[in-house]
Amino acid sequence: MTRKQKRLSVIAGGLAFLGAATGLTFYALGQKASYFYMPADLTTASVQPGQRIRLGGLVEKGTIQRGQGATVAFSVTDTHKSVKVTYTGILPDLFREEQGVITEGSFGPDGTFVADSVLAKHDERYMPKEVADGLKAKGVWQESKSE
Amino acid sequence: MLFWVIAAILTLGASLAVLLPLAAGSKGTSSTGDHDLEVYRDQLSELDRDAARGLIQPAEATEARAEIARRILRLDNAAASGKASTRQASVAARLVATAAVLAVPLVSWGLYSQLGSPDLPSQPLSERLAKNPADSSVDELVARAEAHLAANPSDGRGWDVLAPVYLRMQRFSDAAAAYRNAIRLDGDSAVRRAGLGEAIANAAGGIVSADAQDAFEAALKLDPATAKASFYLAMALAQEGRAKEAVAAWQAMLGRLPPDSPWRGAIEQALAKSGSPEVASGGATNGPDAGDVDAASSMSPADREAMINTMVAGLDDKLRQNPRDPEGWMRLVRSYVVLGKADQARDALGRAIAVFGADSDEAKKFTAFAASLGLTATE
Amino acid sequence: MVETGHFALVLAFALSLVQTIVPLFGARLNNQRLMAVGGPVAVTGFALTALSFGALASAYASSDFSVASVWENSHSLQPMIYKITGTWGNHEGSMLLWVLILTFFGALVAAFGSNLPATLRANVLAVQGAIGAAFFLFILATSNPFIRLNPAPIEGRDLNPILQDLGLAIHPPFLYLGYVGFSICFSFSVAALMEGRIDASWARWVRPWTLVAWMFLTGGIAMGSYWAYYELGWGGFWFWDPVENASFMPWLAGTALLHSAIVMEKRSALKIWTLLLAILTFSLSLLGTFLVRSGVLTSVHAFATDPTRGVFILCILTLFIGGSLVLFALRASRLTAGGLFHPISREGALVLNNLFLTTATATVLVGTLYPLAVEAFSADKISVGAPFFNLTFGPLMVPLLVLVPFGPLLAWKRGDVFAVAQRLMVAFAAALLATLVTALFIDGASVFAALGVGLAVWLILGALTDLAVKSGFGNVATGIMVRRLLGLPRSVFGTAFAHLGLGLTTLGIVGTLCFGTEKILSMHAGETVELSGHTLRFVGLYPAQGPNYSEDRGRFELIGVSGSAIGEISSAKRFYSVRQMTTTESGIRTMGLSQLYISLGDEGKDGSVVVRLWWKPLVTLIWGGGLVMMAGAAMSLMDRRLRVGAPSRRRKQASAIPSTGLP
Repeated sequence: MTRKQKRLSVIAGGLAFLGAATGLTFYALGQKASYFYMPADLTTASVQPGQRIRLGGLVEKGTIQRGQGATVAFSVTDTHKSVKVTYTGILPDLFREEQGVITEGSFGPDGTFVADSVLAKHDERYMPKEVADGLKAKGVWQESKSE
Repeated sequence: MLFWVIAAILTLGASLAVLLPLAAGSKGTSSTGDHDLEVYRDQLSELDRDAARGLIQPAEATEARAEIARRILRLDNAAASGKASTRQASVAARLVATAAVLAVPLVSWGLYSQLGSPDLPSQPLSERLAKNPADSSVDELVARAEAHLAANPSDGRGWDVLAPVYLRMQRFSDAAAAYRNAIRLDGDSAVRRAGLGEAIANAAGGIVSADAQDAFEAALKLDPATAKASFYLAMALAQEGRAKEAVAAWQAMLGRLPPDSPWRGAIEQALAKSGSPEVASGGATNGPDAGDVDAASSMSPADREAMINTMVAGLDDKLRQNPRDPEGWMRLVRSYVVLGKADQARDALGRAIAVFGADSDEAKKFTAFAASLGLTATE
Repeated sequence: MVETGHFALVLAFALSLVQTIVPLFGARLNNQRLMAVGGPVAVTGFALTALSFGALASAYASSDFSVASVWENSHSLQPMIYKITGTWGNHEGSMLLWVLILTFFGALVAAFGSNLPATLRANVLAVQGAIGAAFFLFILATSNPFIRLNPAPIEGRDLNPILQDLGLAIHPPFLYLGYVGFSICFSFSVAALMEGRIDASWARWVRPWTLVAWMFLTGGIAMGSYWAYYELGWGGFWFWDPVENASFMPWLAGTALLHSAIVMEKRSALKIWTLLLAILTFSLSLLGTFLVRSGVLTSVHAFATDPTRGVFILCILTLFIGGSLVLFALRASRLTAGGLFHPISREGALVLNNLFLTTATATVLVGTLYPLAVEAFSADKISVGAPFFNLTFGPLMVPLLVLVPFGPLLAWKRGDVFAVAQRLMVAFAAALLATLVTALFIDGASVFAALGVGLAVWLILGALTDLAVKSGFGNVATGIMVRRLLGLPRSVFGTAFAHLGLGLTTLGIVGTLCFGTEKILSMHAGETVELSGHTLRFVGLYPAQGPNYSEDRGRFELIGVSGSAIGEISSAKRFYSVRQMTTTESGIRTMGLSQLYISLGDEGKDGSVVVRLWWKPLVTLIWGGGLVMMAGAAMSLMDRRLRVGAPSRRRKQASAIPSTGLP
């Protein structure tokens, strides 16, 4: 091989590598990115049981039920609709009634959302951004509430 | 003033940092080629060390040495061709230098005058708490009491003094905790129990909860004449929807209470509203202090202090007209001590002793009480 | 004192403007006096910034609530250590720390840069000054820590409780030392582009800065990871949280830079690429600052959410990244290309390293920014989390890690891959053995787990093989070998330690992820639970009072084989009354390299408590490996090669060395 051919083959190899990496990245984005929904969005969006999504909203008042062991059931609401969620584990420190929460998981066959992670806001002045935006869009949230 | 001196010195120092290099004579310059040559020499010596350690093969070392030598040669060529530019003390350079020297004081003083608060001194908390109590705001006095109690949490009397102040400042949960501490450390009393009940109820937005009821009932057990407890228990009845019983309880109170009792107004207000469903909310009928306290919450610290002073002055006036009230005198003395007005506290103590006679039991009690607050009758 | 600090900050801003403009003109006009201004101004600017930072810290230490930032982020009852660390536990203070470190590095260049060519030094200081000026302006315009309150409140609003931790004392300063350290590399690159030439000393100057920045960034990330691990109570050490990614991207790019700078220094090759990489690394640091500070992300580090700040930093970002890339596009062609090399050689291995690392950086960048892009251009909101990164980042890292032991053993210019493979036979055999042993003898070990262990062993032994080969292990007598080992350049040790640390971290990650066990249950006082051979008894919940919090402390006893208690672990729920906030203090007991981790949940009505227990085998290696990597960087820094003398003074000495160096 001449020097030029060598250089070309190196460049071609590099480009093929980058192409493969790009392909993998976009494949992974399509497969592994989870969409965020509020309860009312679920009526229009078709979410299959087993598909990973993030569900956000407020913890509905009076719905927190502690089951056996460490399993907790509660409803997430955007005041229009609410969705029943079950979660096994330790709830975040700031998980409370009528506070913003984001749960991640998928719907079980019975229509209950089985969460494997629950995120709550991290201090009094902070609301998960998706939840705040979603509630604003639905006209529920007033700016003053967050302060 | 000191600040401006420091600022001037800092500005001077910063300006000198710009000025001195500009004023200094120019040092001899070394061309960039010299620097490169130095690096290549170092690389050669490093190569020799590596070869000596056997880190690279002799053949590779020779090759690398040749490569570095080629770089040095290239350097000489570049140096021969690129030594054209000379130093020029151009007008532009002078202009830049002048602008730079001027920019330091102009930018800094100009910007600082927009942003800074030069007249505001530093206010470390310890210094603020150590200054003369007469100049302190209520907040500062409370903070001082809190600092004292943080250091001596078993000072029951301290909690007892602080609890009603918290109540006035609408720090209800703090008030409840303070009353609980006072009860735990200094024992039960009707006043403390009733205060605790009031704190719990207000912390819950005026709802007289089971906890609050327990506290009021305990107060009545200790002293059946505790008007505050009776009033709130009637309120609890009203909130439970037992309006008739509540009205009856309030009316019974009206019969018992002395004509100048401050609770009469509150009861009449409550009775007037008991026909309407608003009673259940309880918000409007928080007792005699509710209005004042509501007002206090929206006040500036200075106004709030004025309000508390007015209340103390009111008590003082009442005692002038109706002086044979040992509890009242003690409350007055304590209030003045809490507010940090030691002179007035001493004055009140003197007047109280004068009312009952210097040899009376009450006078001895007053002196002992004042001493416990850290106050002496004569000074 | 407070106002003195404020004034010093304004003055430092004025000086940063001078530092930007005067040396730049000096270099243009080739005017020695103008260029000489840069040094003293940089040093004075640092002194003033330090004074300003000191004033703010003293306001925090003395609870001066007349300063708005102190009032918002401090409380008089906080322990003194958290009062002081609270100085940078908030947006304003942390930005001041950022510029303090920036001016500190600038002052170091000024102080120790006397052996740099004058124009290069002037240009570097000018670029450094420009970055400083932009951030000083940002602080003064949107995030001034010296805004005063009159009348002053009597009590502060307390520091966010999750930040009241020793981790906060170390994590942000280290992270910033890393981020900002790359600014020096950036300034050197831009200066080289402005001059249109790269001096031979350029790489030697950039490399120690890269090492310093990389060392601190490694420490900062490791510290942050450990902090999140024990403070958040979720037992995880890495969440692929956007803010973590923000610090990880400069680390990956910085690692690439570290390696390409070696090629540039030794062989004068990859010059243009190294320059670009230096620009990109600092750009990613700036991007990290933007992502964290602007509040565009939803994340645990949510202590700054203010859009005006975001727009301001976005402008800074555009100016510096855009400006430097445009300059690069215009000037890169002027730079001369360097030495040639065979694909299979040390250089080739380092190029491969760069290819993998920059691609990995790109995937992390895409994963971090994609949700923002989707949200900006459609109504959908998505999140990209661990599953994405496992699928993309993982496959990129594994081949890179497999190749790591080859790199240091390959010769420059033209390497012999078979000879190297022969030398690595022992390491390979051991790795294979470790894989088989794991697969066959450890219950529940998956194929991936076994291969992971094998990979880690391969990395660790590969790093040791490097040292063994270079010291002549097996070929020479032991005495000579030890002498040769001790005589090796420090940078050889640096490489070996950094790669060793990488292996240890890999082992920790594999151990924790593949062999860790976990239990969630609700327990009554007196009950016992077993986890991976450890028996724990829940003693009960005990209330306690801290300086500015109250807590319920759950005590657990570790039961030994004999049935008696051999140790205690306690986890607590803390309630901070000022912020009305609860935090979980996890209970951790280190046993060898592994840890038993307990996190307390809510109390049930019947007096039981939800408890989450983890057994985390080898978990400490994750951060221990980070420390070893830092040690490697420190050793490389001590290499004498990186101490380049000034031309005139050291010439005689330097030329004297070769004769004595040869046997």
